[in-house]
Amino acid sequence: MVSISFFIQFLLNNIYIQSNVLRPYLAAVRSTLTAALTLENFGSQVVERHNKPEVEVATSKEVLLNPLTISRNENERVLIEPSVNSIRLSIKIKQADEIERILCNKFTRFMMQRAESFIVLRRKPVPGYDISFLITNTHSETMLKHKIVDFIIQFMEEVDKEISEMKLSLNARARIVAESYLTAVSVQSLKTISCV
Amino acid sequence: MSVLAPIICDNGTGYSKVGFAGNSDPSFVFPTAIATRGSATQTSRAPAIPAKPGHLASKRGVEDLDFFIGDEAIANAKTPGYGVHYPIRHGMIDNWDHMERYWEQTIFKYLRCEPEDHYFLLTEPPLNAPENREQTAEIFFESFNIKGLYIAVQAVLALAASWSSNRVTDRTLTGTVIDSGDGVTHVIPCAEGYVIGSAIKHIPIAGRDISQFVLNLMRERGEMATVPPEDQLRVASKVKENYSYVCQDIVREFRKYDEEPYKYFERYEGEHSVTGRKYSIDVGYERFLAPEIFFNPEIYSSDFLTPLPEIVDDVIQQSPIDVRRGLYKNIVLSGGSTMFQHFGTRLKRDLKQLVDRRLDASAISSGSTQKSSGVEVDVISHKRQRYAVWFGGSLLASLPDFYTSCHTKAQYDEIGPSICRRYQIFGSST
Amino acid sequence: MILLESHNYIIQTTILEKLQKPGSLDVVFVDFDNVRFHLSTPQKKTLLVLSMNIRCWDELVQYGALDVLKREYGSLVAGYVEPEYNVSLEIDLEQAPTDAESREAFATSLSLLKRNALAAPFELGFTTQKQLENSSGQGDLMQIHYRDEEAMYIQAAPDRVTVIFSTVFQEETDRIFGKVFLQEFVDARRQPSIQNAPQVLYSSRDPPLEIRHVPGLRNSEDIGYVTFVLFPRHFGNPSVASATISHIQLFRDYLHYHIKCSKAYMHSRMRHRVSEFQKVLNRAKTEVATTERKTASGRTMVSR
Repeated sequence: MVSISFFIQFLLNNIYIQSNVLRPYLAAVRSTLTAALTLENFGSQVVERHNKPEVEVATSKEVLLNPLTISRNENERVLIEPSVNSIRLSIKIKQADEIERILCNKFTRFMMQRAESFIVLRRKPVPGYDISFLITNTHSETMLKHKIVDFIIQFMEEVDKEISEMKLSLNARARIVAESYLTAVSVQSLKTISCV
Repeated sequence: MSVLAPIICDNGTGYSKVGFAGNSDPSFVFPTAIATRGSATQTSRAPAIPAKPGHLASKRGVEDLDFFIGDEAIANAKTPGYGVHYPIRHGMIDNWDHMERYWEQTIFKYLRCEPEDHYFLLTEPPLNAPENREQTAEIFFESFNIKGLYIAVQAVLALAASWSSNRVTDRTLTGTVIDSGDGVTHVIPCAEGYVIGSAIKHIPIAGRDISQFVLNLMRERGEMATVPPEDQLRVASKVKENYSYVCQDIVREFRKYDEEPYKYFERYEGEHSVTGRKYSIDVGYERFLAPEIFFNPEIYSSDFLTPLPEIVDDVIQQSPIDVRRGLYKNIVLSGGSTMFQHFGTRLKRDLKQLVDRRLDASAISSGSTQKSSGVEVDVISHKRQRYAVWFGGSLLASLPDFYTSCHTKAQYDEIGPSICRRYQIFGSST
Repeated sequence: MILLESHNYIIQTTILEKLQKPGSLDVVFVDFDNVRFHLSTPQKKTLLVLSMNIRCWDELVQYGALDVLKREYGSLVAGYVEPEYNVSLEIDLEQAPTDAESREAFATSLSLLKRNALAAPFELGFTTQKQLENSSGQGDLMQIHYRDEEAMYIQAAPDRVTVIFSTVFQEETDRIFGKVFLQEFVDARRQPSIQNAPQVLYSSRDPPLEIRHVPGLRNSEDIGYVTFVLFPRHFGNPSVASATISHIQLFRDYLHYHIKCSKAYMHSRMRHRVSEFQKVLNRAKTEVATTERKTASGRTMVSR
């Protein structure tokens, strides 16, 4: 019991420290993304009367801007690839161990499965990242630009928290499950001791 | 080693029918209800997330295992702290969290099987959204790691169930299904295993309405006076199930009853559920009037006035012309509210009249001397009507093709939930 | 439902129902660990035949399963065995008890058929331990291959009985979740309230010493070995012994059940979180004046 509360204390401290370090990282992403979200309607230069997200098709080099990586550490980074009419943002989410890796994988898969309703979500992540968003000029015209940025920042904030919470709850569950199983066996034997 | 029998799971709005392929009846039929902690009226669907990590050491964290399903859920409805939910609405899954847990307990508590060893056959209503299939597949493959999955349309399974009738010679999946359960009646045309979605019609008259109608009739005759109010609806539905039948001519039937009431009137004996006081009531005209509301809806409702045979005719007329003969020839009944004696015969007669009248009218209006050879109309009644959908599933899943038509876990892992958007139709000999 | 029950629900309900009202019957169903049942009335409505097929029957017979079943069911054990099954019970409904309470008990005892068959090696292990108590040396290693790739090993020693499960995780997620769970089984004993529980050991790839000599053991990432060390206090008196057997033999199913439950729980968490994210994104959408659209015939179009 002592060890658990100690562990939680440690964890809370950890979150506290994190949020302090997290802030500049998120601020950097926010300002970069806001700056990059200057999109205009731009028809394809290759196919007549087509209008495609240039960052995805990459058919004309001159409309692509320099991609940019914001890195917090080797495990957490954001890649922003701007172009004239679309921008792609990919996030690598922190995965400290096997459990977090599998949970993160599950969560992003689950979300991308529902990409239909998350208009800006890409169905597949860019290789090397866990989740990608694709924002086109249509999105920035029909939706409030700063709110899209808010959404992405909030996602980044909460996804870490959610994954570590999921991990904690998995551990808690496992403990309860093990305890109730072993109690079921040991309660019986306690009875015998009292009988004898 | 022999493969373990596939599991057939037909989750309906009111009841779930679950069992193993190869059997003729489902192993379990219980309400699709789940009783969970927290009130039923609670609107937020948030799962119990431990608010503060400090609480983790307590029993919090497995609250989601504290629930009951089926009959136990209904029994626990009154237990303080529990609320009963119905995860399926209008045939479609409404609350996935509850449904996932419902399945969890169905598999582990009732069926007692390791889902990793079994193939599953699930059912869905016609016109179900493909997203719902994907979500179902996600649950079954990811949470339960099942071996393989097949999702079949209920109407198609009801057609397959009719193969058990000895009047059916060719195993075809073309036909019109009349599916009448507790809440609503559907008329669904199917062509070669595919539902003709645009022609489906719903009738807002089903089991519950018939019971209500019986109740109204008996109240009018003053029979219900001796029955305690809380038992009345139950008594009415018992009367409906045990004594009702479909008559061929309503006027003649009335006359028969008036001439010889002792021959036709039945007696229902009941007992009050709490006090144990006995009572008995006479069952009369209700016997043939109850199912009559399908054929003359005006005797019950004032909003819905089209008789069932006309609806069936409309449905078939709205279907593509090249399947209409097949649809008239193979009209299949499914669900508890089609179990009335002579229901099929009456429907067949009325429908045949409609069709013949139209043929005659068109012969006159075209002025042609050539005469149509006629349209064959046939309504199939069979013994497995009550759980027809489940039985059809059991029948199809015991065919060897079943395993090749399923999507397996390996395929799911390779392609993702989207493979479940499409399933191969199988089992038909045509 | 945290703990799994050891009786089969279908047998119990069907027998009770048929005791009330005999009728013809022919059903097949299953139980955990690849057990198949067939309940039928081949000759007459009042004579039920319950047959069971269990993968490791030959091994169980070797460890005395037939004796255990004869002890539990007496004359019910039929002299013949239905083809494709391993053991058949004949239940004559006319000779069954008549009062409600003993009927209940009768049905429950029948529904424990699988549990009783699997109990044989445990009981043998417990008695061997008794015999060995004052000597040194070890009992034979009993192997029960109750699933295709998984097995149970039971060995008696002078002061204890060791039960080893090998369990295979078919999927990556299961493997990792399983590891977390098993680690907790090992750690949970530190709790003062359950210090009397059997000791649990766990190794993820290497088989434990006791069974290392057994040929054909896999040594891959997806296999785990769980060892329970049972001391005489866990099987000293018969009622405790039978409770221990019921629990231990369902261990694998219990573990896998809870892995699945936690995945279901994760799903519901994720559903909740995704809908929260959805709300945040929806705030970004600008208000579009929604006018009601109607078709020519006056029907409204509803977007879902």
